[in-house]
Amino acid sequence: MSDNDIIQQLKQGNEQAFRKLVDSYQGLVVNTCFGLLHNREDAEDVAQDVFVEVYRSVSNFRADAKVSTWLYRIAVNRSLNHIRDNKKHRWLSSFESDVKAEKKRLLQVESSQSDQPEFELENKQRAVILHEAISSLPENQKVAFTLNKYEELSYNEIAEVMELSVSSVESLLFRAKKNLQKKLYECYRKKCM
Amino acid sequence: MKCKDVHNKLIFFLEGDLSEAEMKAVQEHLDECRECALFAEELKLTFSILETEKKPEVNPFFYTRVKAKLEKQEEQSIERRPVLARVLQPVAFSLILLLAIYGGIKFGATSAEQSASLTLKQELIPYLNEMDVEPIENFLMQ
Repeated sequence: MSDNDIIQQLKQGNEQAFRKLVDSYQGLVVNTCFGLLHNREDAEDVAQDVFVEVYRSVSNFRADAKVSTWLYRIAVNRSLNHIRDNKKHRWLSSFESDVKAEKKRLLQVESSQSDQPEFELENKQRAVILHEAISSLPENQKVAFTLNKYEELSYNEIAEVMELSVSSVESLLFRAKKNLQKKLYECYRKKCM
Repeated sequence: MKCKDVHNKLIFFLEGDLSEAEMKAVQEHLDECRECALFAEELKLTFSILETEKKPEVNPFFYTRVKAKLEKQEEQSIERRPVLARVLQPVAFSLILLLAIYGGIKFGATSAEQSASLTLKQELIPYLNEMDVEPIENFLMQ
């Protein structure tokens, strides 16, 4: 069954078509949400909302559009809204204070599991630092970076999802990498890495 | 190449996005500068985390949870009917029913009155109009 067939059947309220769509694109949506949220439970929760929105708004889907592009857009918008809602509670925090708080929390959790190899703990700390660095990027850079790194989308595909020109995407990715490098170097110098 | 220049290019070096000459220059600097080499190694390890996170495990209950959310939202949308609709609708139906009963009683009383007067009229007519019962010959004979 092609994507178009699935959408047509979904428009007629076919539940099997909806199940097929969820099964086919669950990984794509959860991965995109995780790339932006960096939390497995939140990513799954937002991904479920994405499919609920898809079910409700399938009648607005244009036949000439790509299903994956549509799903990426909804996933990105929903994840950004989730971040904005959470940010209201922590508008005074900075990248470094967030890293320290996350590492402290991680160490508390890990101290109860002392049989874990050291390199695993180091990798978890690296993940915390990387997630905080990505989260501190401006929204557009964060979206472009996530789609490029987590979903391995080409510049053309990112441009389609973000409704930008390819050169704008190139520029966004260049600045995102520069900013990440800068933040990670600052962190390295201050020994938070 | 200075350390600062290397730091600015390190991420692009790790991704192989620099020109051949720049790649060579950065590599030469890293071979000589221990501090930059350590940072480059740490950066490489940090970005390698992305590779391990790329494909999350698929939750077998994902579809069930999506369906549960859909059903919950549908229930909530029914519960969230406006107060006016929830209160006024039964009131309006009750009023219509009461009006119908009242109308029925009124209509029944009026038609009973009409039928009673009609019966009386029918009973009186034969006495008042004797011409109907007495033939004209009898009248002329008198």
